[in-house]
Amino acid sequence: MQAQTRNRQWPWVAIGLSLAVAFTLSMVSPADSVQGDLVRIMYVHVPAAWLAYLAFFVTFVGSVGYLTTKDLRWDRIAAASAEIGVYFTGLAIALGMIWAKPTWGVWWTWDARLTLTAIMFFVYLGYLALRRTTDDPVIRAGRSSVLGVLGALQIPLVHFSVVWWRTLHQPPSLVRPDGPAIQDPLMLTALIVGVLAFTIVYGSLMVKRIELIKLDDQKAAIEQSIERPVAGEAVTVPDLGASS
Amino acid sequence: MKRYWKFIIPAAIVVIVLVVLVFSLNSSLVYFNTPTELAEQAPGDGRLRLGGQVVAGTVTDTTGGVTFEVTDGREAVTVVHVGAPQQLFQEGVGVVVEGTWDGHEFHSDTMLIKHDENYDSEKYKSGDKSYELQHPSGDESDQA
Repeated sequence: MQAQTRNRQWPWVAIGLSLAVAFTLSMVSPADSVQGDLVRIMYVHVPAAWLAYLAFFVTFVGSVGYLTTKDLRWDRIAAASAEIGVYFTGLAIALGMIWAKPTWGVWWTWDARLTLTAIMFFVYLGYLALRRTTDDPVIRAGRSSVLGVLGALQIPLVHFSVVWWRTLHQPPSLVRPDGPAIQDPLMLTALIVGVLAFTIVYGSLMVKRIELIKLDDQKAAIEQSIERPVAGEAVTVPDLGASS
Repeated sequence: MKRYWKFIIPAAIVVIVLVVLVFSLNSSLVYFNTPTELAEQAPGDGRLRLGGQVVAGTVTDTTGGVTFEVTDGREAVTVVHVGAPQQLFQEGVGVVVEGTWDGHEFHSDTMLIKHDENYDSEKYKSGDKSYELQHPSGDESDQA
């Protein structure tokens, strides 16, 4: 019998507190001189996109870790991180669309940044689907690690798409060679705190998701050890000869 | 041997998708033409995208829309736009317009705003840097 998995509660408190602080700052920070209040979408859109990169990078690290050590703990990290990454990629896309309509004038357009982000979203959805193609944890870890490594090639591609190609999406405001392009210190603080808060949310979700994967693995191990009747044993042969 | 293929197939699909995207679609990853590129292009019926900054003082309302000049800092092209301009349309803002090029005017029916990566509040921009007063090295009497 494996050691009992802990059911930690602090991640929920951490998520609640960090989101409350980030939300408050995003609301008290001033409106933008061009966009007005629309700029507040940035305080969620940018942190969500950052988590997508971070999560898929951790999936990459977990995949490399599994391929080199063959230790399933690395695979659990990769799997948990990919799920969180897919969620936040979807969130970044949805918020981006809500932001794009009133600023750019369209919900969606096929520029390099948007197209590559959509592809990244679907590749990692594919990663999650690939994990469901087998019940064998070792085969599953092997297959998904390969995709986890290859998929990570998209992270720099998506991030630098706005620098390498001419796009409708604007280049980065925060991480730039000549410093942030956000002048007002309160606006800059709101964005940085938002990024930090979402990073705490990511860490907390990872702790809870890995707990859940361990429980799932234990459940699968228990189910395999139980002796079960052969499938179809309860079915009796219908008595077809009686009526004739 | 069978397990070997299970690694190769997903790997090959991802690599092919990435290679196709980055290399053969390289030209379509360029979202719009600059006024300089447009000026070198022969007029035609093909739909193009033109991007640049709206030149201050050139915006004129017309019955069906608006005309203005778009520049990349080197060339300026006159855009005749049909339809309502976007909410954030103003002098100096980045725009991407879609339409046809007749050799001296660009006839557009679709306008997108390309806002830049700069953000600032009205108050801070106007020179009121009052947040700095709350810094410990600033005026102490404020906190007393």
